[in-house]
Amino acid sequence: MGVVVEWLDAFLWGALVVLRVFFVALIFTVVWGLIGASAKLSDSAIARGIANAYTTVLRGTPELLVLLIVYFGSAVTLTGIAKLVDPSVKFVHIPPFWAGSLAISFIVGAYATETFRGAFLGVDRGQVEAARALGLTPAQTFFYVRLPQMWRLALPAFGNHMNSLIKDTALLSVIGVEEIVYVADRATTMTNKPFTMYLVVAIIYLGFVSVIIKTVAVLEVYANRHLDRAR
Amino acid sequence: MSFELALVWESLPKIVEGMGLTIELLVLSLVVGTALAVGLVLMRISGIAVLEWTAFVYTYIFRGTPMLVQLFIIYHGLAQFEAIRDSFLWVFLREPFWCAILAFSLNVAAYTAEILRGGIQGVDRGLHEAGRALGLKTHQRFLYITAPIAIRLSLPAYGNEIISLLKGTALVSLITMYDITGVARTIVAKTFAPYEIFVSAAIVYLCLTWLIQRGIGLAERRFGRYVRR
Repeated sequence: MGVVVEWLDAFLWGALVVLRVFFVALIFTVVWGLIGASAKLSDSAIARGIANAYTTVLRGTPELLVLLIVYFGSAVTLTGIAKLVDPSVKFVHIPPFWAGSLAISFIVGAYATETFRGAFLGVDRGQVEAARALGLTPAQTFFYVRLPQMWRLALPAFGNHMNSLIKDTALLSVIGVEEIVYVADRATTMTNKPFTMYLVVAIIYLGFVSVIIKTVAVLEVYANRHLDRAR
Repeated sequence: MSFELALVWESLPKIVEGMGLTIELLVLSLVVGTALAVGLVLMRISGIAVLEWTAFVYTYIFRGTPMLVQLFIIYHGLAQFEAIRDSFLWVFLREPFWCAILAFSLNVAAYTAEILRGGIQGVDRGLHEAGRALGLKTHQRFLYITAPIAIRLSLPAYGNEIISLLKGTALVSLITMYDITGVARTIVAKTFAPYEIFVSAAIVYLCLTWLIQRGIGLAERRFGRYVRR
């Protein structure tokens, strides 16, 4: 265990990177989920088609492959564009941190789309009609009527999505983000103690997942407090 | 910077060669994992505190950590122990293939156990009581009443689990194996055409996903044939 102590602050920094990726990706996930769900529920056949293609493709492709497509694909595109402007450019890429955060948000966003769609459908139609009768604009209806009522319905499933999100951050070492798997990999080459090092990684992830589970449980109590009082 | 369809056509046959390994990993881990899951779920509902608690902790750990980390602990990690390197197990554990099978099976077992538990909980208590009234023994009630209904209730979630295992098998490309993703990565390293090659690989995965969904759909129809009239 002595070796772990030496690497403790490296793991701490790595854990901080995991958290940063998690929160950035979480925001994007919610955005993709809301856009996707709105598209799936919209009257436009084109929007529905795009949203369906998005969820089908992203839920059927391995996370690792999505990550590689986003990172290396964007690098090839950006390098190509940069070469048009300045032929001496060799390689341009999105920083791995952002490419990785985006990639995992695309993946989990596809699952969130389905969850949010179901939750929006769970909001009583009468609420939306009442909002329209009161003269609220569609945007007002969305933010003041539909959103506040759907999130508590989405919460249990969304808790699982958050767990997927944090676990998917482990993939980012593949494109060189210096998170905890990356730290463990480096520590292993120095100390030759792979089991110990990856066990530390597992424990850190288990800690994060436990915090998420607990937080979601607390939020669920908060979200359903009006039902509590009615009893 | 353009999308070359010719490259897709050239690489598809090679990528399909990697599909054999992907399917092998998928089927083997699924069979072993599901068998383990049945054991785990029996522990969970056994009513014996020690067994219930052990199964709970197992599921919690395997569902709470990334599959990548589980795979690395087994593939990279186990070599740390001389006892394992000297034992007969080393014949298997030094092979990435068996490490992957072990990691995936243990992982699938945890998720599937939870799915099966949900299915068992979904079985109407009244049916259980009816079974008792008819004089069926405990194991008979489980085999003839609870199990068939629980399987039907678990099937949709089990289908999703198969798909997520299929996606998980892509991780073996990180431990020197040439599955669909592994083959795609070597071709990209040579051609540096990530869009064409990785998208081709994604198409292969999507076809497999579609096949799994169809298969599960058929199984759902079969197990639920008495529900529709």
